[in-house]
Amino acid sequence: MILYTSMPEELIFPVQSSDYESVSTIEVNGLQMVVRQTEQNQYEIVRILSTDPQHYLIENYSPGQKICMTFSFSS
Amino acid sequence: MSKDSSYIQANPEPKQEKQEGKESSLVEKIQQLGSTNVPQLSHDSRIHCLTIIGQIEGHIQLPPQNKTTKYEHVIPQIVAIEQNPKIEGLLIVLNTVGGDVEAGLAIAEMLASLSKPTVSIVLGGGHSIGVPIAVSCDYSFIAETATMTIHPVRLTGLVIGVPQTFEYLDKMQDRVVNFVTKHSKITEEKFKELMFSKGNLTRDIGTNVVGNDAVDYGLIDGVGGVGQAIMKLNELIGNANVETSKENMLQ
Repeated sequence: MILYTSMPEELIFPVQSSDYESVSTIEVNGLQMVVRQTEQNQYEIVRILSTDPQHYLIENYSPGQKICMTFSFSS
Repeated sequence: MSKDSSYIQANPEPKQEKQEGKESSLVEKIQQLGSTNVPQLSHDSRIHCLTIIGQIEGHIQLPPQNKTTKYEHVIPQIVAIEQNPKIEGLLIVLNTVGGDVEAGLAIAEMLASLSKPTVSIVLGGGHSIGVPIAVSCDYSFIAETATMTIHPVRLTGLVIGVPQTFEYLDKMQDRVVNFVTKHSKITEEKFKELMFSKGNLTRDIGTNVVGNDAVDYGLIDGVGGVGQAIMKLNELIGNANVETSKENMLQ
């Protein structure tokens, strides 16, 4: 079926809220990055958010690298 | 994917565990970056690079599978660049389909008011609201194969069918037209002619301007890639340094 419409796709096919939860923006050692959860406590770097070209050359933070992260709440 | 899996199978029984780890990270690098090692620069870079990719996100957060340029990410970065004395120039790389008018114009205004030299390159595409962002820089380049779609502003989603809606759109469009004509050599008449021309785009009004044509219309300053852009940026930085040293001499 072809649907011709001026409506944005997300208005016609609402996105599940769980899709938003898998991706998050975090900061590691002062470097902002977008990560996607792959396993429990393990995240894959999707994209680095920086204007410094040097940051894209850091091997540990190149896209596709896995990083471990845990959340803890202290009162 | 099948190539990668065959690559792993072709190396049976790695001798040590350490080697296995090394190999998998090698495979990962090839998968993600297309090469095993990336060049390392020794010194701090004085030219920063801002990429405007995918869709320019406005007030509604787009689903995570969309590539987006977010207002809240880009604006603080521009503020930081303005404040950091080590950064001397900014390179803007555009490959965008457009997006929110307000967010796009905000980024364009921020770049236009930046006191440091800025150069933009349109690589791939700089469509609709990408046009003001491309022209906002001190000097703009377009790759020979890159395109820019110029079309009227429109609302998607729920539109109230009253004459005021049209007036609102018309005012919004004037802001885009004014910004582009102010920051590039294109005339208002020409820009509007491209914007409202029929028959160039299937099922739409507007024009798709390719590389050299964008330069001919005066929209973009030159055809070129990263080499020319960095060269121009260094030239602008050189000029800026000469001016500041002159000012210091006068004082």
